[in-house]
Amino acid sequence: MDRQPLFKRKTAISYKTEEKTVVRGYNVSDLAEAGYTLYDMLFILFQNRIPAENEADMLRYETGEFLEHSMSPSAASAIAVIGGRPNLPAAISAAVMTFGSAHGPGAAHGYMMHKYIERARVEGKSIEEMGKILVDEYMDAGLAVMGMGQPQHIDGDPRAEPTHIKHEQLCRGVYLALQRAIEKHFNARRKKEGKAYVAVNMIGAGNTALAELGFSPNAAWCIGCVCRGFSCAAHATYTMKKGRAWAASKREPMVQMLDLSMIKYQGPADREVPSQAERQAYARKQKEEGEYKKWVI
Amino acid sequence: MGNLDDPRLNFNYRTRERGTVPMDTKRDRFQWVSEVAYKNVHRIVTRGYDTTELVEAGYGLTDVLFVDFQARIPLVEEEKMLNYVMVCMLEDGLSSPANIARIVASGKTLLTQAAGASILAFGHAYGAYQEIGKLMDGILARQEKEGKPLSEVVEAVVGKKLNDPALGVSGLMLKDPMAKRMVARAEKLGVAGKYVSLIKEIVKAAQKFSKEPVDIDLLGATGAVMFDLGFTPEATWGILAVTRAFATGAHYCEEIEREAPVRLGQTLTPKEWYDGPADRPAPTLEERKSVAKAMEAQTPAEWKQTFLERQKIKGSGWAIVEEIDDPKRKI
Repeated sequence: MDRQPLFKRKTAISYKTEEKTVVRGYNVSDLAEAGYTLYDMLFILFQNRIPAENEADMLRYETGEFLEHSMSPSAASAIAVIGGRPNLPAAISAAVMTFGSAHGPGAAHGYMMHKYIERARVEGKSIEEMGKILVDEYMDAGLAVMGMGQPQHIDGDPRAEPTHIKHEQLCRGVYLALQRAIEKHFNARRKKEGKAYVAVNMIGAGNTALAELGFSPNAAWCIGCVCRGFSCAAHATYTMKKGRAWAASKREPMVQMLDLSMIKYQGPADREVPSQAERQAYARKQKEEGEYKKWVI
Repeated sequence: MGNLDDPRLNFNYRTRERGTVPMDTKRDRFQWVSEVAYKNVHRIVTRGYDTTELVEAGYGLTDVLFVDFQARIPLVEEEKMLNYVMVCMLEDGLSSPANIARIVASGKTLLTQAAGASILAFGHAYGAYQEIGKLMDGILARQEKEGKPLSEVVEAVVGKKLNDPALGVSGLMLKDPMAKRMVARAEKLGVAGKYVSLIKEIVKAAQKFSKEPVDIDLLGATGAVMFDLGFTPEATWGILAVTRAFATGAHYCEEIEREAPVRLGQTLTPKEWYDGPADRPAPTLEERKSVAKAMEAQTPAEWKQTFLERQKIKGSGWAIVEEIDDPKRKI
């Protein structure tokens, strides 16, 4: 049996022999035997260190609450994908991949914080001042301030403020100070502009805590998004076992997700297909008139 | 209407209705139906438990996995065992998930693409939890039906499946104690049950039949322990594939930190690795008429002949025989 890796890479993360698997110098089996947890392992994996207990507690809290979020783009994708009855990992994979610049933009939020903390250092400004500068720069440029607002939890994500409070109790630091300053100045400016209050979301709260725990923007993003993969696996498995494949059956008492009546079409009106004899003149005219451009995506 | 004017068509293509289908008002409107979780503006609830209340009460990710998949709070020993399994499953060096994550990363992608793609490595050989679950449940069902001693039923099955990658027994962990330690820990914590007992019988039978040394492997240990913790094979498949995806995030980071991105057209394939047809000139479109011939078979005998010929073409897919069935479990 060929046990050689597919390609050669120098790695500082781990190695595996016939005798053991070693991560950052620690034998994984020994860590498990000693009672270390998945939370400890994530620190070892990404940060090459065993965390203090308060740090592991914060990570347990955050991953525990972040795991399940009912219907969001990730769960909806998992359910849609499993409708075709592929292997389960395909649905989970798709779910994790829904995380981008709108759904859980963890890495982007992390980079934003790094940039402004560094500016506070270089420009000799306080974190409080830098929070206001960040808000003003983003809002002046018409950009969304990351970490604020959630389209479903319009009164504030129920997980966010408790996460901040737990963060204060367990591991407060410069990231939390900046995030709190952002929230304060963001809403002060909105109030001045006659706009409604917008609460912090789970990127603002959760990603800030992960940054404080020492996770890089991408490591923090990985923890958040992959953690959600667990519940998406549950949603996909439930749908696979108890739902209808294809999600379009007329025999179900409820209209299904892919029932034909769920389609609303807003594109060009139905039109005749030109014959091949007509094609060149038709296509030239269509291109010259340019109406097609409003449909280009 | 061109070549669609055929009397065998099921409906008239000239008079087909246009426009979308009106809303179906006779049935309930579409909703996301779930037994797993719901949320409203102020709450997120899984299996009846508010997730914020769960973590405020000290429960963590591993507890919530029991809640999500089994609708119950785990015993302390069960939670400890799940943590143990996940610690062991988190990272595995440069194996398939890490490789996939690194390849995806090399195209300069987002982390979520690489971590998500890595989950696809878990198939019916690598991480064959659905397969070993079917195998084990099949043995248990057969034993119950036939009333024979477990060891007898196990031997009858294992004798035919010695090289099955989903057996949970192989030569992979002869020198690595991780799998055996995991089973021992399950027994020590009092969470080992019928699946751990069964995998031990499978190991015994495999060792009896195999000419090569074999022992319990990581699939066998993690599968048996997870099933005894009450997770279904599908839940186990999902949970452990996602567990590994955390580590592939680290591989994504390292690939970007240490290697240059790979550009379109950059990677070469050495000619000495190639064993396909020798280099040959492309025929002109005029020559094509005499060079190319259609391959339709008209009789089963012709079909068999072309089938066998096609099987010789590596990469055509004709030499692959597999079952692609509905993944709902049927025992």
